[in-house]
Amino acid sequence: MLEFQFASLTEFFEMAPHGVYVWPIYGLGLLVLSGLTFANARQHRRAVRMIQRNLEREETHEP
Amino acid sequence: MGWRWFHQWGSPRWFYERAGRWQLVCGWLALTLLITGSFWGLALAPVDYQQGNSYRIIYLHVPVAFLAQALYTAMAVCAVVLFVWKMKLADVAMQSIAVMGFAFTALSLVSGAVWGKPTWGTYWVWDARLTSMLILAFLYLGVIGLRAAIQDPDQAGKACGILVLVGVVNLPIIKYSVEWWNTLHQPASLKLTEKPAMPASMWIPLLINILGYYIAAGYLILGSMRAIVLERERRSAWVRELVSHA
Amino acid sequence: MSLERRMFTRELKLIAARPGDILKPIWFLMLVISMVPLALAPDSDLLSEIGSAMIWVATLLALLLNAEHLFQSDFSDGVLEQWLFLDRPLVWLVGLKLITHWLFHVLPLILITPIAGIILSVPTDVLLALLVTLVIATPALTCFSGLGAALTLGSSRSGILGVLVMMPLFVPVVILAAGVLIRAMDGSDTLPLLALLGAFSVVAATFVPIVVSAAIRLNIGGSN
Repeated sequence: MLEFQFASLTEFFEMAPHGVYVWPIYGLGLLVLSGLTFANARQHRRAVRMIQRNLEREETHEP
Repeated sequence: MGWRWFHQWGSPRWFYERAGRWQLVCGWLALTLLITGSFWGLALAPVDYQQGNSYRIIYLHVPVAFLAQALYTAMAVCAVVLFVWKMKLADVAMQSIAVMGFAFTALSLVSGAVWGKPTWGTYWVWDARLTSMLILAFLYLGVIGLRAAIQDPDQAGKACGILVLVGVVNLPIIKYSVEWWNTLHQPASLKLTEKPAMPASMWIPLLINILGYYIAAGYLILGSMRAIVLERERRSAWVRELVSHA
Repeated sequence: MSLERRMFTRELKLIAARPGDILKPIWFLMLVISMVPLALAPDSDLLSEIGSAMIWVATLLALLLNAEHLFQSDFSDGVLEQWLFLDRPLVWLVGLKLITHWLFHVLPLILITPIAGIILSVPTDVLLALLVTLVIATPALTCFSGLGAALTLGSSRSGILGVLVMMPLFVPVVILAAGVLIRAMDGSDTLPLLALLGAFSVVAATFVPIVVSAAIRLNIGGSN
C-alpha cells in the first residue's frame, strides 16, 4: 500500500505529464501558509512594539 | 457543571495566555499531518487511471475548498455569539477568520483552476462549484473591506456581524441559484464522469490533509487573534505588564 | 400634514433642488449602453441576443451610483438621528425611505430601459420581459443596497463600498432574471420564474428593512 509510485526521484519531480500543474500549486500552498504565519508574527511583534513605545512615552512625560 | 468554561472566553487575558499554548500544539500537529498527508498523496498514492498525476492536486484543493466554506459558517457562529453574549473575542475571531477565509478561498480557486487545465483543457469554466466559490471570495472581501472602512472597532465588528449573518442566510440561496443557472446553460458536459470508489491508499492521505488544513487554519486564526487581542487591549494593565517584561 | 406626507414632499424638494442626482445614473446607463456596440460590433443579431443582459448589468451599475444617496445625506445632516426620536417604529421609516428611493431613483432608470432596448435591437417581447423582471427585482436590489448603505454609515469615506459589499447577494436575483429573459427569447413560459423572483423580492422587502434599521441604530448609537 505504501509504495513509492515513481521509478526515480527525477520522475517524481517531473510527475509526467502534470508536474507543471501539481508542483506550483503545492508551492503556492506552502507560500500562503507560511506567509500567513509570518504576517501573524509580524502583527504580533508590531503590537508589542507599539505598546512598548507608548509606555516609554508615558514614563518620560509623567515624572 | 458550571458556566465557568464559557465565561472564561470573555476574558481576553485568559484567551491570550491559553491561545499561545494551543497555537504551539496546533502548529506542530498541523505541520506533521500536512507533511505526512502531502507526501503520501504526492508520492505514495497510486496514479489515477483517468486523470493521471494531475489528480494529486486534490490533496490540497479539496481540504482548502472545504475549509473556505466552513470558515464562513464559523464566522456566522461568531457573529451570533457577538450579538447574543456581546463577547468581544467573537468579534476578534470574526476579523481573523475573514482574512484566513479569503486566503483559503483564493487558494482553492487557483488550485481548482490549475487542476482544470489538464482535466478540462481550460483554466476556468463557469462550473457551478467554481462560480459559487468565486462569489464566496467576494463575500469574504466584503467583510474585510467593511471592517477596514469603519474606524471604531466596536462599530465595525457589529456591522461585519450583520453582514456575515445576512450573507450566511443568502449563501444557500446563492448556491442553489448558481447550480440551477449552470444546468440552464450547460447540460453537465464538462462534469467528470462518476468516479469509482477511491482505494484506501488514495483517500487516507486526503483525510489526513483535510484534518491537517483544518488544524493549520486553527493555528493561523489563533495567531492572528492573539495579535489583535494585544492591539485592542493595549490600554489594559495586564498587557502593559506583559509587554514591559518582554 | 402627516409625517409620511412630509417625508415624501421633502424627498421631492431635495430632488427638485438637485435634479442631477436622478439624471446622472440615467446618463450613465445610456452611456454604458452606447458603448456596447462600439466595443463589440454593430451587428444587430449579436446585440439583440446579448442586449437584455447588457441592460441588466448596466442597470446594476447605475443602481450602484444611486445607492450612495440612500442614507448618507440624511445621516450627515442629522435627519437619521431624528428618526430615532419619532413616535414611529424605525423599520417603518426605513421602509418609507426605501420606497421613496425606489420611486424617485430606481423607477426612472427602469423607464429609460425601453430606449436602451431599442438601440440594442432587443426584440419587443424580450424587452417586455426585461421591464417586468426589472420592476419585480429592483425592490429586492434596493433593499440590499439600502443595507449596504446603512452598514457603511460609520465609515467616513465609504463611496461605493456599501454596494460592493452587497453585490454578491444580488446573484440569485440576476440569475432568476436572466432565466426569465432566456425563456422569453425561446418563447417559453416565464411565469414560474417570475413568481419565484417575485417571492424573493417580497421576502427581501419584508426582512431586509428590519436588518437595515438595526444597522442604522448601531451606527447612530455607536458614533456618539
